[in-house]
Amino acid sequence: MTAMVEERVSRIKEIVCDILEIEPEEVTQTSLFKEDHNADSLRAIEILASLEKEFDVTIDQSELPRMVNIEGVYAVVAESAGWN
Amino acid sequence: MTETANRVVITGLGVVSSMGLGVDAFLAGLRAGRNTARPITAFDTTGFDHANGCEITGFAARDWIRTLNPDELGRASQFAVAAARMAIDDASLPVERLRGSRSLVTIGTTDGESRDLDSLVETEVGQGPQAMDPVVARRVPAGRLSAAVAREFGLTDTEAVTIPTACSAGNYAIGYGFDAVRGGEVDFALAGGADALCRKTFTGFYRLGTIAPERCQPFDADRKGILTGEGAGVLLLESERSALARGARIYAVVLGYGLSCDADHPVAPNQSSVARCMRLALDNSGVKPEEVDLISAHGTGTKANDVTEAGAIHQVFGDRPPRTVSLKSMIGHSMGAASALASIGCALAITEGFVPPTINHERTDPEIDLDCVPNTAIDADLTVVQNNGLAFGGNNAVTIFGKYPERAA
Repeated sequence: MTAMVEERVSRIKEIVCDILEIEPEEVTQTSLFKEDHNADSLRAIEILASLEKEFDVTIDQSELPRMVNIEGVYAVVAESAGWN
Repeated sequence: MTETANRVVITGLGVVSSMGLGVDAFLAGLRAGRNTARPITAFDTTGFDHANGCEITGFAARDWIRTLNPDELGRASQFAVAAARMAIDDASLPVERLRGSRSLVTIGTTDGESRDLDSLVETEVGQGPQAMDPVVARRVPAGRLSAAVAREFGLTDTEAVTIPTACSAGNYAIGYGFDAVRGGEVDFALAGGADALCRKTFTGFYRLGTIAPERCQPFDADRKGILTGEGAGVLLLESERSALARGARIYAVVLGYGLSCDADHPVAPNQSSVARCMRLALDNSGVKPEEVDLISAHGTGTKANDVTEAGAIHQVFGDRPPRTVSLKSMIGHSMGAASALASIGCALAITEGFVPPTINHERTDPEIDLDCVPNTAIDADLTVVQNNGLAFGGNNAVTIFGKYPERAA
């Protein structure tokens, strides 16, 4: 991971942890928001909204099914922001 | 109680809607299938990619509110009082007579005076709490929607109660009014719903991805969500005996209603609970499913609502459900007023012998498979009409209306 990617991942993680009210060490790249961290659909939208603000992107809600863990969220944000 | 129960009839209608003020403008709009969507002006919509709504223009509170100071009422309360005055006038019921009778005032709402909360918060953020207007702050409690009606007309032998069951609240209020008149507890009931377009509700629905970019297309394969609206609908209910004794015009009979609570998801509708609600309403009304000529659906135009509601209709009505239309295609989602305005639409459909259309319709979602009377009203002799109201929180209320007098058996 480049420093830039690491920074972005860590910022995404912060946002997710803040919304799900959990500690960063509880979350892995692939732990599932819903199944492992008790997220619901409204929290998912909250995460989406915060990411839009933070990274100044627009994320279509049809992407929500992919945004189930940090890895998935990063992929969606990266596409929207043109990081790849 | 069944043997002595009163027959409950509708003798007055009051309408504040994006179609216009009064029952005539509403009727004309429903017949014409008028689309009332346009860019929202109630608040600054900068930053939203799209912001259409069904707003009311040209409402002058002073034309309708004569006893109270309109400035002391929030917009939703103003709508409620105006619609109540229209209903009383429409019923040719002298206010003195109403004042001397036992009455019920019941207004349903989603947001109460959230529009005032919007502006108070804006003031607080922009200028600090000391700048907040105490007159505006005093307008906020939702109980004032119904209390304002009682105060405006000087009704003291009344129960004034606001029902906060959101998007089905108008039907809850009509159901409550029905019970009160039917059981002889009151002589007259003013029952309906009111809401004012507000930033909070628009933004909330927008964030959920449920605001349509331009127009509301219930049951369409390409539907994109709701448009927020506003208004008030108030029905004057009394017993058949009372109406006949004073020679009042009768629009329709309230046959009954049903309520159900999903006790499930905060926003997703629950098909079996909606079906249960319709069955309860039919049972309460003594009506068989095959006797229903028309359903006025909740029909918000969201993906989730329309497919779930249609599924419930197929569950209750089988392979050949009645025509099912959505007034929200024309007037948007007026929240607490929605099912009250739709009930008024049902009463007018019965009296005037027509089916209001579902406009903005191109192709019915095959998963929905209902005749939604696309785009153009049709003439029809209607005996029994059902009105669905479904709300966030899983509060469902269905009302059933019948032609008066019925055809000879």
